[in-house]
Amino acid sequence: MDNFFIQLIEILTISSYVLLIVGPLLICVAFLTYLERKVIAAVQYRKGPNVVGMFGLLQPFADGVKLFSKETIIPASANKVIFILAPMVSFALSLVAWSVIPISENLVLADINVGILYIFAISSLSIYGVIMAGWASNSKYAFLGALRSTAQMVSYEVSIGFVIVCVLLCVGSLNLTDIVMAQKSCWFFIPLFPMFIVFIISALAETNRAPFDLPEDESALVAGYFTEYSSMLFAMFFLGEYSAMILMSSLGTILFLGGWLPPLDYYIFKIVPGFLWFFIKVGLLLFVFLWVRATLPRFRYDQLMRLGWKIFLPLSLFWVFVTASVLVFFDLLPNPYG
Amino acid sequence: MNLFFFLFASITVLSAIAVISSRNPVHSVLFLILAFVNSAGLFVLAGAEFLAMILLIVYVGAVAVLFLFVVMMLNISLEEIKNQVKKYFYSGLFVGLVLMVELFFSFSNLDLIRNKNIEVINNKNLTNTHLIGSVMYTEYFFVFQLSGCILLVAMIGAIVLTLRRREGVLRQDISKQVSRKKKDSIELINVKNDNAN
Amino acid sequence: MLKMTMPINPTYFTLLSALLFSIGMLGIFLNRRSIIIILMSIELLLLSVNINLVAFSAFHQNITGQIFTMFVLTVAAAEAAIGLAILVVFFRNKGSIKVEDTQQLKG
Repeated sequence: MDNFFIQLIEILTISSYVLLIVGPLLICVAFLTYLERKVIAAVQYRKGPNVVGMFGLLQPFADGVKLFSKETIIPASANKVIFILAPMVSFALSLVAWSVIPISENLVLADINVGILYIFAISSLSIYGVIMAGWASNSKYAFLGALRSTAQMVSYEVSIGFVIVCVLLCVGSLNLTDIVMAQKSCWFFIPLFPMFIVFIISALAETNRAPFDLPEDESALVAGYFTEYSSMLFAMFFLGEYSAMILMSSLGTILFLGGWLPPLDYYIFKIVPGFLWFFIKVGLLLFVFLWVRATLPRFRYDQLMRLGWKIFLPLSLFWVFVTASVLVFFDLLPNPYG
Repeated sequence: MNLFFFLFASITVLSAIAVISSRNPVHSVLFLILAFVNSAGLFVLAGAEFLAMILLIVYVGAVAVLFLFVVMMLNISLEEIKNQVKKYFYSGLFVGLVLMVELFFSFSNLDLIRNKNIEVINNKNLTNTHLIGSVMYTEYFFVFQLSGCILLVAMIGAIVLTLRRREGVLRQDISKQVSRKKKDSIELINVKNDNAN
Repeated sequence: MLKMTMPINPTYFTLLSALLFSIGMLGIFLNRRSIIIILMSIELLLLSVNINLVAFSAFHQNITGQIFTMFVLTVAAAEAAIGLAILVVFFRNKGSIKVEDTQQLKG
C-alpha cells in the first residue's frame, strides 16, 4: 500500500512538471506567431497586427478562437483513423522532445544520458506525422506535398547528424547538461563556426521553414500536406510546426551558443540568471528564423535536394574528419572517465 | 517496472499480430512501427538506452520510412483473400504453433544457462554508450569495418538497381551557369536607321 | 550499463522473443497477398532476436550482447534496403507484387 502511494505521488509530481513545461511552451508558440507577423511587417515597412488588444498582443488569442470555432471537415474518401492520428502524432512529438532540454543548471525534467540522441530520434519520428497526413487525405496535391516534405526532412537530418557528431567529439558525452558545461571556456560556435551555419540552415529545412518551404508553397501546391485539414486539426499542425522551430533554436543554443552560460565570466554578467540567458539566446535564433523568412526567396525542390546531399553532407563529413584530427593532434580529446 | 514491461510487451505482440493480418499494407507498416517503438521501450527497461535510441533512429526513422514510401508508391490495390488461402492456412498455423510451443519449452528452463559461471568482464561504472564504444572499437574493430563495407555495398546495390536515366530531361549545371562569360551571352549589333521609320 | 537495482529476469524477455519469432514465421508462410508482408515479417524476426540478445546482455552484465545487436541492426537495415529495391524493380517490370508472380523469376 505504501509503495502504491509513493508511486502515485511520483506520478503526480512528474505530471505537474510536464504541465509546467507544456503550458508556458504553448503560450510561447502562440506569441511566436504574433511575433512573426510583426517582424515580417517591420521588414516590409508596414505595421503588423495592431487592432486586437494593445499593440495587437491579443491577436494569437483571436486566431485561436477562430480556429477552434470552425467546422472540422473530414474528406469522405479519407482514411479517417490515420487522418485524425497524423496531427496528434505531429503535435505530441514536438512536445515530448522538450522533456530533455535543460533551461538552467538543474532545471531539466529528464537528465538522461542519451539526451541528444533522444532529440534526434524524435525529429526522425516527426516525419510520420507528415507522411500520414499526406497519404490519409487521399488527394494528389496533399500526397505530393507530403512526399516532397518527407524527402527533404530525411535529407537534412543526415547533415544535422554529422554536425551533432562534431559537437560530441569536443564534449565526450551525449548528456545535454554535459554539452553545455563543456562550453564554459569557449562557446562551440567559435571553433565550429561552419557547423553552426550548416546546423541553422539544416534546421530551417527540417522544420519546413522558408526558404525551404516548397512543400507548403502557397501558390503552387495549395498548402502541401495539410491541404485537407481545417480548424482543430490544422491548429495542431500549426502549433507543432512552431514548437519544432523553438525546439531547433534551443537545440542550437545548447549545442553552439553555450546554453545558459553567460558570455564572459564576470560578475556583471552573472547577475542575470541562467535561464534568462537561455531565453535571450533562443530568442536570437528565432529572430534569425523569422528574418530569413522575410528576406530570402524560396528554393526550388531540386536545388534544395542538391544542397542537402551534394554540399552539406560532404562538408559536414569533412568537418568531422578535421575536428577529429585536430583534437587528436593537439591531444584535446575529452576524458570519458572524468 | 513489471507493469511497464507487460504494457510494452503486450502492445508489441498485438501490433506484430496486426502486421501480418492487416488487409491494408499501409496499416501493416504503421503497426510495425508501433512494434519497434515498444521494443525500444523494452530495451530501455533492460538498461540498454543507447541501443533503444539507435533502434528508433535506424529502424523507425529510416527503414520503416523506406517501407512506407515503397508501399505508398506501389499503390497496391487491396487484395481479396482468395479461396486458395484455406489450403495453406491450417497447415501453416499448425507448423507455427509447433514452433512456438518448442521455443516456449526450451526457454522456460533456463537453469542450464543461469548456473553457469560467467565472469563479468565489463564492470566499470560507465554509461551504456561508453561501454559499447570501449569494446566495439578495440576488440570488434574488424567486424565494425566489415559492417561499414556491408552498408556501402547495400547502398550502391540499391542505387544501381533502381536508377533509371530519363532521356531529354533538362538538368541544371551550376558550374556551366557560373562560368558563362559576357562574350558568350551578349552580342552588340549595329542596326542601320531606316528613313521610312 | 546500469547496475540494475532489481536483477533482470531474462525468462520473460525470452518468452516474448519466442512469441515474436513465431509470429514472424507465421507471417511468412501464411501470407499469400504481397511480398512486402514477407519483408516486414523478416524485420519482426530480427527484432525478436535483438530483444533476446539485449535481455541476456543485461542478465550477464556483459556488453558483448549489445555489440552484436548493433551489427544485427546494421545488417537488417542493409537487407531491407536491398529487398525493397528488388521489389520496386520487380513491380516496374511485372505491375503487381503477388507472391505467385515471383515464380517467374525462376531461372
